[in-house]
Amino acid sequence: MKRSFVLQIAAVIVVSGAFVGILTTADVYEDVKARIVEVLCLSCIKLEPKTIQEFTFKTVDDAPHPYFVTENLTKGPVFLHYSEDVCAGCEVMFPIVKQLFNIEFGKQDMFSKTVTFDHGNITYIYVNLDHTIDILENSFPMYDKDDIGGLPMFTIITLGYDHGTVRPYFTTLYGTLNVPTDAERSSLLREVLTESIEMYQQNKAGYQPT
Amino acid sequence: MKFQLKRLYFQIILFFTANLGAVGLKTGFCYPFFYCQACPAATSACPIRALENSVYKQSFEWRFLLYPLLIIGFFGITTGRAICGWACPIGVLQRGTGRVARKVKRHPIAQRLGAHSVEKYLRYTKYFMLIVFVFLTSLLIGFIFTDICPVGMLVGTFPILILNPGKFVPNYFFPVALVIFVLFITLIFIIERGWCRYFCPVGAMLGPFNKISMLHIEVHTKECLHCNVCSDICPMGIDVPNMHRDPECILCGKCVSSCPTKQITFEKV
Repeated sequence: MKRSFVLQIAAVIVVSGAFVGILTTADVYEDVKARIVEVLCLSCIKLEPKTIQEFTFKTVDDAPHPYFVTENLTKGPVFLHYSEDVCAGCEVMFPIVKQLFNIEFGKQDMFSKTVTFDHGNITYIYVNLDHTIDILENSFPMYDKDDIGGLPMFTIITLGYDHGTVRPYFTTLYGTLNVPTDAERSSLLREVLTESIEMYQQNKAGYQPT
Repeated sequence: MKFQLKRLYFQIILFFTANLGAVGLKTGFCYPFFYCQACPAATSACPIRALENSVYKQSFEWRFLLYPLLIIGFFGITTGRAICGWACPIGVLQRGTGRVARKVKRHPIAQRLGAHSVEKYLRYTKYFMLIVFVFLTSLLIGFIFTDICPVGMLVGTFPILILNPGKFVPNYFFPVALVIFVLFITLIFIIERGWCRYFCPVGAMLGPFNKISMLHIEVHTKECLHCNVCSDICPMGIDVPNMHRDPECILCGKCVSSCPTKQITFEKV
């Protein structure tokens, strides 16, 4: 009896020590919170958000657009591609987006490039929430206009005319875009991008980055 | 206060604790039981999801492997599988459906099936689920368990659909997951604690700790009358008089309360 008690106490100490060790040295608490608890993997909940293509001026909580968006809007629309390492939907969308813009990079890279699309420029910014910087990560809830809180998410920011001023105007699409095939997903993205380029051309003259 | 009533209060308190996300408390811990982080009220992550993440398509992340294992290991060493009987919200649900399952159990067909020798081997299904559907498929193919998990469906998918009417549509996993969910509901209504007995991968992780846990149930066999009241009442269908640190025991204490000669006791160490 005594021996087993000593072994049990030793096991509790080892497990507790290892737990405290992993908590303090490996950032695992923050990663579990940010990567699993707070951000939904949309394919895992067996649901697909209804993609509403409507553009809006209103960010979540009226947060100001980040500097990297307002500056890049001087060149053309901005396409923000939010993703994470472990997410089935992200894997479906990743090659489609790369093919659409004819670009090549790794799933865990931080990547951005100004690409030519439909006779216009688009600044493509890839944000893998598991491997990114704060300023990019913080933009994720800001553009989550339908309050989905899940990945993958795509935000297209262009310019729109609002009561006498030209302001950033955006829409956000979610998941695998609620269409069944890769061709349809690509076509839907192309359609939204074309629309955003047209709006940009109409409004760019009046744009003043703030 | 009756012991089982105390356990019920404890389960209810822990159910609300597990759902403090409803008031904004989101943590980076893993539950030591089966509950889905997709639940809008969840405070923590499902340990199965963290384990799947750890080996997802050969991207080995030792932190996500060790973290839930250490949490489960701590509770396993101290209380064995008592987590299943005292804390798991799915356990509470099965406690609710247990009344129906006990009625079904008295049916001759159910008694014949329950006494069949295959039944004890079926209990190994949960270990198979843990190894194959949690680890191997995540390692080689991608999420399988998470995509069809009936508990995720119950506490994640359905509440999200109810709380966000018109915002979501089912994806391609939904029909399969729905069929599995219906089977899960049927199972827990016809077999008491059917999910815990045969399929729960967290139960598979906690079960072996019963062999070494500080808290366990001891049957004093020499004085036992072998009246089998304990076995009859056991929600896990254990042959209690012949039990010694059984991995299936969830330490619910029903046998302890029911033993007419008080020969079954909770033991520490």
